[in-house]
Amino acid sequence: MTTTAVSLGTIETRVGSVELRRGGTGQPIVYLHSAAGEGLGLGFLDDLAQYGEVLAPIFPGFGESEGIEQIDDIEDAVFHLLDLFDRLGLDSPAVVGLSLGGWMAAELACRYPDRVSRLVLVNPAGLYVPGANIHDIFGRTPREMAADLFADQSNPIAQMMLQMDKLVTEGGVGSITFDMIKPQIKAMTASARLGWNPYLHNPKLQGRLWRVTARTLVINGEKDGLIPSAHGETYAREIAGAKLVTMTDVAHMIPLEKPGELAQVTGEFVGN
Amino acid sequence: MRIFNFHLMPYTGLPDDYDGPAWITCPNEFFDPALGNKLYNRYLDELVYSEELGFDGVCVNEHHQNAYGIMPSPNLMASILARQTKRMKIAVVGNALPLYNPPTRVAEEFAMIDNISGGRLIAGFVVGGGPEYYSFSINPAHARERFQEAHDIIIKAWTEPGPTEFMGKHYQLRFLNTWPKPVQKPHPEVWIPGAGSLETMDFVAQKRYAYMGIPYFHIDFFDRTFGMFREACERAGYEPDPLQSGWLVPIYVAETDELARQQYEEHFWYFVKRLLPGINISPPGYTSLRSIENILKGFGMWVSSVKTWEEVVDGQYAIVGSPATVLEKLEASVERLGVGNLLGLFQLATLPADLTRNSTELFSREVMPRLRERFGTDAALAVKEAV
Repeated sequence: MTTTAVSLGTIETRVGSVELRRGGTGQPIVYLHSAAGEGLGLGFLDDLAQYGEVLAPIFPGFGESEGIEQIDDIEDAVFHLLDLFDRLGLDSPAVVGLSLGGWMAAELACRYPDRVSRLVLVNPAGLYVPGANIHDIFGRTPREMAADLFADQSNPIAQMMLQMDKLVTEGGVGSITFDMIKPQIKAMTASARLGWNPYLHNPKLQGRLWRVTARTLVINGEKDGLIPSAHGETYAREIAGAKLVTMTDVAHMIPLEKPGELAQVTGEFVGN
Repeated sequence: MRIFNFHLMPYTGLPDDYDGPAWITCPNEFFDPALGNKLYNRYLDELVYSEELGFDGVCVNEHHQNAYGIMPSPNLMASILARQTKRMKIAVVGNALPLYNPPTRVAEEFAMIDNISGGRLIAGFVVGGGPEYYSFSINPAHARERFQEAHDIIIKAWTEPGPTEFMGKHYQLRFLNTWPKPVQKPHPEVWIPGAGSLETMDFVAQKRYAYMGIPYFHIDFFDRTFGMFREACERAGYEPDPLQSGWLVPIYVAETDELARQQYEEHFWYFVKRLLPGINISPPGYTSLRSIENILKGFGMWVSSVKTWEEVVDGQYAIVGSPATVLEKLEASVERLGVGNLLGLFQLATLPADLTRNSTELFSREVMPRLRERFGTDAALAVKEAV
C-alpha cells in the first residue's frame, strides 16, 4: 500500500492558533483525536489519506494548540469545531472520532446534522451506560492505563507508558522531569475541562442521537479496557441505520494498534 | 509573634494490614463511630485546653473523605470552640471555597462564628487539596476561577451594604445580602495557605492578607517560599508585617531529647506512611503548568521522600526534643523564616492523649514564654485593604 504523507500546519481559529495535520486528496475526512492527544507520527492518518483528504486538527490545550482557557465544556467544543469547519471550507465532511473525539463527533452530528455527512465513532465516549462505567483516566498509573488501552503491551506507546511507570515506582516522582510529562499533563488538563464531571459524558446526549442523519459506523475494539462495548452498542442502537463493527485483537487505541485495518474499514465506509 | 495550636483531627483506627491511600478511596467501612465519638471529643478538649495554656489561638482545617483529618466541616468545630473559649483566636484554615455552592455559605458561617466568639475568627480561604476534587467531583480545571469568584463574593458580602448582586462566570447571585455580618471590621483577618505558586503569593500580597506555608517541607523550602512571599509584597509596594506569614510544623516536647524521640517517632512515621499517602494527587488543571514545574522541584524536599529520623531532624520536618532543644530550634527557624505566626501541630497521627497533653504543657510552660520574650507578643494583624 502506498502512503500519502500527512503534514503538520496551523490554522487560526476564534480561540487561537491550532495545529492541523492534513494530507491526501478527495472527499474531506476529519479525524478527531482522543484524550491522549494522539497525532504526532500517527501512521493511521497517512493510511487514511489513501481514501480522501484527511484533516486532523489538534484540539485546543493539546500539543501546541491554543485557546483551551476559552473552552469550558462540550458545547464550547462543538462551537470550536463549527468554527474550524467554516474556516476550512468544510460544508459537510466525513467525521471520524476516537473516544473523546468520538464524543465530540456525536455531539456535532446531533446538534448540526447538516455539517456531518458520514460519522465514524471509534470506541466513543460521551454516554453513561448503567453498569458499564468508563474506567478512570484522571487518577491512575501509566501501567494501569496501558493495560486498558492496548491489547498488546509490546506496542511502542504501551512500552513508553510502562517505562514511565517504572521510573516513578523505582525512583519516585523526583525521577520524572517536567518535559517528560508536559504533553500528558496538557492532554489531561484539556480533557478534564470537558469531561471531569459529568465524567466523559453528557447526560443529554443519548436522548438527542435520534437527530443524527449522517450514515454512521460504530467501531468497538474487542479488548477495549477503558470503554465497555455497551457504549458502542448504545450508539449503534440509538442512531438510525448505524452499523456496528467489532475489531478483534485491539483494545482502545485502535489507530495505534491496527492503523492499516482501521483506515481501510473507515475509508471504505466513508467512500460509499 | 503569635503561637497557635493546629489540630488535624486524624483518624487512628486504620486496620494494621491496610496499606492503601488514606484519601479519596480509603474504604469508609474502616470508620468506627464509637472511636469517632471518642476522638472528636478528645480533640476538642485538646483545643479548648490551649486557651488555659496560653496559646494565642487554635487552628482547624477542612478535608474530605480521608483518614488524615476527619474534619470535613471545620466550621462545626470552630463554632463549638467559639462557645467553649473566651480569649483565643479561632483560625479556620480554611474553607475550601470552590466546594461551596453558592459560596455565600462561607460568608454566613464565618460571620456566625465571628459573632458567637465576639470577633475572634481568623478566616482562612483555600482552594482545597487535590483529593477534594476527586471526592466532590468538582472540576479542577475551574478551581482557581471559582476560588477567585468565591473570594470576591465573600468579601463583598461582608463589606458592601446589601442587598447587592454578584454576576460572575461560575456564580450568579441576584440577591447578595448576607445575614449576619462579621463583628470584625472591615472583615476578619484573612489567611491563605499556599504551596509556592507565584500567582497565589501575588494575590495574598496585593490584598495584604497572611500567607501560610503548606506544611511538611524541608526548612530550606520554607525559607525559599517565605522569601518569595516577601518579594511579592515588595512588588506590591510595601514591607510585609511578620504576622503576614505563618509556619506550620509538628512539635513534640518531652523531658529529654532521648525520651522525646522514643515517645514520638512511631507516631510520626504512622503519619507519614499511613495518613499522608494519597494527599499529593494533583488532578489535571488544578495547578498551572508553571506551578507544576516548581512543585516537581520541591518533591525531594517533601516529607514523603524522607527515610531516616536523622533526615527528619536535619530538615526540621518536625521539631522534637527537650524544652531547651525545641526552644533553640524554634528561635533559630522563626528568626530565619521571618514568620510572625507559629502554627504547631502538637497532636499528630496516633500520638495518644497523655503524651499530647504532656508535650503541649511542657511547650507552653518552658518554650512559649521564651519565644515571646524573644519575638514579642503582637496581638493582632490589623486588616488593611489594599490601596
